[in-house]
Amino acid sequence: MSHANDRLFDHKLAREWKLKKSRAEKDKRMTLQEAIATFVEDGDSIVETGFAYVRGPMAAYWEIGRQQKKNLVGIFTPGGMNTAWHEFGGLEGAHVAYVGVEMRGLISPFRRGVEAGTLKIYSEWSHGALSLALRAAEQGVNYVACKSMLGTDLMRTNPYVKEAKDPWTGEPVCLVPAMYPDVAIFHVHHADKYGNSRIWGPSVNDTAIAIAARKVIVTCERIVSSEDIRANPYQVIIPHYCVDAVCEVPYGAYPGDMPGMYYFDRRLQERVVRLEWKTKESTKEWYEKYILGTKDHYEMIQIIAEEEGMNVLEYMKRLEQLSCDASYFGLGYWGVGGERDWKYEEVAKRAI
Amino acid sequence: MSDVQYTPRELLACVAARLIKDGESVFVGTGLPLVGALLAKKMHAPNMMAIYECGAVDPEPRVLPWSVSCSWTTYKAPILLSMSSVFGHSRAGYADVGFLGGAQIDMYGNINATCIGDYEHPKVRLTGSGGANDIASLCERVIFMGLHLPERLPERVDYITTPGYLDGPGARERAGLVGGGPWRVITHLGVMGFDEETCRMKLISYHPGVTPEVIQQFTGFELIIPDDVVETPKPTEEELRILREEVDPCQLFCF
Repeated sequence: MSHANDRLFDHKLAREWKLKKSRAEKDKRMTLQEAIATFVEDGDSIVETGFAYVRGPMAAYWEIGRQQKKNLVGIFTPGGMNTAWHEFGGLEGAHVAYVGVEMRGLISPFRRGVEAGTLKIYSEWSHGALSLALRAAEQGVNYVACKSMLGTDLMRTNPYVKEAKDPWTGEPVCLVPAMYPDVAIFHVHHADKYGNSRIWGPSVNDTAIAIAARKVIVTCERIVSSEDIRANPYQVIIPHYCVDAVCEVPYGAYPGDMPGMYYFDRRLQERVVRLEWKTKESTKEWYEKYILGTKDHYEMIQIIAEEEGMNVLEYMKRLEQLSCDASYFGLGYWGVGGERDWKYEEVAKRAI
Repeated sequence: MSDVQYTPRELLACVAARLIKDGESVFVGTGLPLVGALLAKKMHAPNMMAIYECGAVDPEPRVLPWSVSCSWTTYKAPILLSMSSVFGHSRAGYADVGFLGGAQIDMYGNINATCIGDYEHPKVRLTGSGGANDIASLCERVIFMGLHLPERLPERVDYITTPGYLDGPGARERAGLVGGGPWRVITHLGVMGFDEETCRMKLISYHPGVTPEVIQQFTGFELIIPDDVVETPKPTEEELRILREEVDPCQLFCF
C-alpha cells in the first residue's frame, strides 16, 4: 500500500472512493471497537476534528491506542493529546498547523518525537491555509489562492503549497491544494443512525473535513431519531452520505470540552501534560494503565474518578457543572506541576 | 495609587488591554492575548468585537478560558462560523487588530512559534503556527505580547512562523502580504513599536522600575531608543481589581 501522503492530494482517487459509497439511509450503528477496527487501517492519514481538545473524539483516539494501530499520519489543525500514539508506534508522521494545549504549553510526546527525529513532520501549515486545503476539497476546487504563509519559513517547509502570481493582479499568492485525508472521526452531540450529525458550539473545520475524508466515523453523545434531525436541521454539520459508522459514546470528548455538556477535566489535563507525559517512561506507564489496561473509555473514566475520590456520576456531574457555570471553580488546578515555560524567577534574578 | 502592588504579568495584561480601542475588532490568539482582550472588554472597550479562530465571533466570555475554542470562550457568541470563514473575513477587512503571543520575536517583528534551533534538528519543537501566521498576514495591525529576554528577542528568529516586516522596508508588499504588519510589542519591561523608515523595533515606553538601558540589556539586538520615550503608566487599582476578580480569578495566568 502506498504511503498516506501519496493519496493525500489525489482528487481522482478521492472521487472514485466516494462514488462507491452508499447514499442509502442505512443503519450504520456499531460499537466504537468495531468502527475503529473496520475503518482505521495502519498507515492511514487521520485528520483532527473539532478543535482537538474541544469536541475532539477522544474516546475513539484512546480506542485507536487500545487497538494499537500503527504508523498513522496525523493532520493537526490543531492537534492534541492523541500525539501520544507516537510513543507506541501509532503515529509515524504529521502535517502540522498546531500541536499543543494553548495555555498549558507543549505536548511532550510530540515534542520528544520531533526533536529525536522519530516523528516526521511532512509539512508545516498555518491554521488558515490548512483549513482552506480541507475547504477546497469540500468546495470541489483543485486549489485555493490565499494570502497566508507568504514570505515565511512555512512556505519553505511545506512541499505541497506553491507561491504563484495572481494572473489578474500579478501579486504573489499562496496556492493551497485540496486535501483528502484517509480517516476522520468526529464527536458530535446528536446523530441519527444514518450519520446526520448535529452540534452545539463552533464547527471549526468539520463540514469540510467530512466531505474531504474518505472514511468517516461519527461518535455521538446521543443517538436521536431521524425525524428529530429532519425537523431541526439547522445545527446539522455532517450529512449522512459521507458517514461510514455511527457510535453512541456518551462523554466521548472526555477529558476534553464538549460545548454545553461538560468541561475539560483541567486537573487531569494539567497533570498529564505537565507531569505524567514528561518522559517516555512515564508516558508509557500512563498509557499502559489508562489506555492499554482498560477495556474501554468508561473503565478509564472510572479509574480517574476513583482517584479523585468520587464515583463516576459525581465526577462527571462536576465536569458538567463547570460547563454550565463558568463562575464555578471547584477544580483548582494550580499546585499541580509548578513548572512554567516562562522562567519568571530567572527573569527576576537577572533583573536584580 | 503610587504603592499599587502588581506582578509583571498583571502589568503586561493591563498595558496590552489599553491598546485596544472600543469598537475595534480584534482577532485574539491564544495565551496572554486572551487575558488582554478580556480585560479590555471588561474595562474601556465593551464594544470590542473579538474573533477567535475556532469560528466564534463577538462572544461574551466571563472568565479566562483555557483555549480560544472552549465553551467559556465562545460563551454567548451571536454566531459560530468555521475556521476558514473567520480568516476569510479578516482578509475581507473585518479584523482591525491581530493579538498574538509567541516564543521569539525579532527586530523586524517576525515571530517564531515553530522551533528553537535548526528546523531539521530542533533543540525545542514548539507548537507551530496555529492561527498566528494568518492573523499577522491578514489583520490590519498586529500587537505581540511576551516576556522580555535576550533569547526571546533575538536579532533574527530561528524560524519565521509569522510574518512581521520580514527583512525590512517593502518586504511585506513584495511578499504579497495584506495587512499592515506589526504595530506594538508589549513585554513585561516595556512597550515597543516600529520605526517607519527602517521597520526596526523601537522603544516607546518603559515600565515603572525599568530603564531604557535595562531594556536594551534584555534585548538581543540594538533597539532604537528615541529621545521621547516615556514611563508606562502603572496599572490602576480598577484595572487590577477587574483583572484579579473578573478576568483571572484562578490566577491561571497573572500570578
